Amino acid sequence: MATPSPIPAGISKEQAFSMAQTEMEYRVELFNKLAQTCFRKCVDNRYKEAELNMGDNSCIDRCVSKYWQVNGMVGQLLSVGKPPM
Amino acid sequence: MADANAEPAVGSSGSNESVTKIEPIRMPTIEEIRAQDVWNNCAVKSVASGVMGGGLGLMMGLFLGALDNPITNDTMTGRQQFVFTAKQMGQRSWSSCKTFAVMGLVFSAAECIIEKARAKHDTTNTAFAGCVTGGSMSARGGPKAACIGCAGFATFSVLIEKFFDRHT
Repeated sequence: MATPSPIPAGISKEQAFSMAQTEMEYRVELFNKLAQTCFRKCVDNRYKEAELNMGDNSCIDRCVSKYWQVNGMVGQLLSVGKPPM
Repeated sequence: MADANAEPAVGSSGSNESVTKIEPIRMPTIEEIRAQDVWNNCAVKSVASGVMGGGLGLMMGLFLGALDNPITNDTMTGRQQFVFTAKQMGQRSWSSCKTFAVMGLVFSAAECIIEKARAKHDTTNTAFAGCVTGGSMSARGGPKAACIGCAGFATFSVLIEKFFDRHT
């Protein structure tokens, strides 16, 4: 997660607060979706042990890394396409 | 999972008792995470397995060395017989300790590396690791002995794994 950016000039306090709220909701949604996707993909259903195996750990590492990368790329593409909209 | 809340659990169907409250999930502290991450390391895991294998080999060698070759000649006194038997037991248990330690180390390292690469927890990891261990240990006898050792040890390790998983 990036360092918090300063409030741009010309935005009132309520607007900044609502922007922060939207951003927070987005982040929470992202985390929930990420955790659900990678859990469904990587962890076996049979639940033989309480701890994560080595294979599960490396699968989760790869899944999170891919998800984050794709999320960044999609975000960039969407933000680039904004002005003509 | 990420969306687990502290929902009260319903008791057995048909009971009218008050619902039991599930406590919220406690996130692990950084020390707990670090302590668990020690065992995520392949080197640490394989060295620990090697040490355990060495201990097992010691015990087994001690036991089997005592059973091996009882002395029947009367030219040695009782004390000399005892010393001779003790030396034989020591030799046998040390060589057995080394063999088992190497076996444990190679098997654990192979299984850890294969599982990390495949990113999946399966019995095929055990089979491949067993093949690598058996093959490397009998590689001295040539390629045919290596193949037989590979197949034999892979079968053995899969059977042991299935045996230990039966109670789940």
